[in-house]
Amino acid sequence: MLNKVLDVHSPVPLLLTVRTKKRYFIPPAVGLKRKRNANPEAHARAAGIVFRQEYFERPINIACTAGIFDPYVPPEGDARLSTLSKEGIKQRTEQIRQSAASQLAIRKIKENDPEFSSKTFAEKAQEIFIEAHNALTNFNKERLHSLVTERCYPELTRGNRYKTIRWRFLESLEPPRVVHARCPDMVSKGNLYGQVTVRMHSKQTLAIYDRFGRLMLGGEDQPKDVLEYLVIERHLVNPYGSWRLHGKIVPSWAPAKDPIIKTVQIPGPELKPWEEFDSQGYQVPKPEAVQWYK
Amino acid sequence: VVFQCMVGGGWRDHKCTCYLLRNHLIQRFISKCFPRSPWMTTPQQLSCFHTSVSLKGRRWDQNNLKVYPPQLPDEPRRPAEIYHSKRQFKYSKDKLWYLAKLVRGLSIDEALAQLEFSDKKGAKVMKEALLEAQEMAVKNHNVEYKSNLYVAESLSGKGKYLKRIRYHGRGMFGIMDRVYCHYFVKLVEGPPPKKTEKTSFDAAKEYVQGLKKRTIIHSL
Repeated sequence: MLNKVLDVHSPVPLLLTVRTKKRYFIPPAVGLKRKRNANPEAHARAAGIVFRQEYFERPINIACTAGIFDPYVPPEGDARLSTLSKEGIKQRTEQIRQSAASQLAIRKIKENDPEFSSKTFAEKAQEIFIEAHNALTNFNKERLHSLVTERCYPELTRGNRYKTIRWRFLESLEPPRVVHARCPDMVSKGNLYGQVTVRMHSKQTLAIYDRFGRLMLGGEDQPKDVLEYLVIERHLVNPYGSWRLHGKIVPSWAPAKDPIIKTVQIPGPELKPWEEFDSQGYQVPKPEAVQWYK
Repeated sequence: VVFQCMVGGGWRDHKCTCYLLRNHLIQRFISKCFPRSPWMTTPQQLSCFHTSVSLKGRRWDQNNLKVYPPQLPDEPRRPAEIYHSKRQFKYSKDKLWYLAKLVRGLSIDEALAQLEFSDKKGAKVMKEALLEAQEMAVKNHNVEYKSNLYVAESLSGKGKYLKRIRYHGRGMFGIMDRVYCHYFVKLVEGPPPKKTEKTSFDAAKEYVQGLKKRTIIHSL
């Protein structure tokens, strides 16, 4: 009763003398352990509230493979030798007919996708590549997802969100051609994915600017000749699947990329407290040349 | 803003809901006047930074998400700006102000040295904040040399206080605040700006010039 008159909230009945001033705010007392609701489920059931059965499962749709199966190993000196020399002609005549597995894979792909043709596919692949990179420069997420698989998307976009990328495709130096094809199946048999490797030699310009508009890499007026092996993938069993860029193969003999404009610290050797660092005798460790898939 | 609302039973409930309603309406008015718009000028860049805020009052950290358009080759190089904050740690904002004022305008190495040998509690937290900001600058914001930074702005702010009872004699009590504070720092790339000291002669000269350039209005 006294609580209501004085408009004060407390769990324990207050014993106040009548002559005290009215308190407008009393903070909650520290260390007071109120008896929490011991069994909220029982209370809810008693009240008549019924909860729906909660499922802890969630369906996941996998629309792309996790990597490149049986990757294509590009022959050494692929774009270095001129086509007129003996070895150049040898390379040119190395057609896709030589590898049987690729032929099998192409046949399987043609079964599932009647519109596929190894002659026209290379141009389509190049178009997909160009459109994907244009979408990357504008950072059009939806378009990028439709042109690039889920495995490739983070590789393209990581770290690029707060940067400006300017990329231009100038021309294609050689017509693109299909060099490799594989048709792996994931998880269950019959769940086919088609992976086709396309080789293209082209001229491109790339310039990456950081958050403040300063040039980080490349230059807009420096065209570079680029030899790339793109892997394009499609989920064949899915009628709504489309051919999307899945990754790139970087051969072990590829020339080193241009360094970024700023200087970067490389961690030096770990020394004990009594050791001294000999800067002249120290060689920066270089990573070994291995083929890797981007 | 005056509200006439008959809400709740006792007059205390009425006052609280009035206050809340007034705050909510003021927020909506402010959001209408200054709508949030993307900072990029070109409309093609769809998502350059977060437009949704997770917690209220995180505008300092949002400055890190601002993207500038690429610079032309003849423009002077734009210095990198890195914003960082340390939120809600147990120290007084007034006591932290002294440390923040000490560090203002120093290069980052000098600032770290001063804070390392300062006896105050807030110096430890501030040093952590500066080191974090330096690492962020080199890793994420394309800063070349980690010593080439200086503290452009350094502020202290009030955090959310906890209220407790402080017992006095004769049944009286006071409300005690357990103080928490925030620390904000902005690092800019480049050497620290030189402070030009104004001599007394310069000040006197300016005063005399001010007197000389007075004009008499409404005169013949």
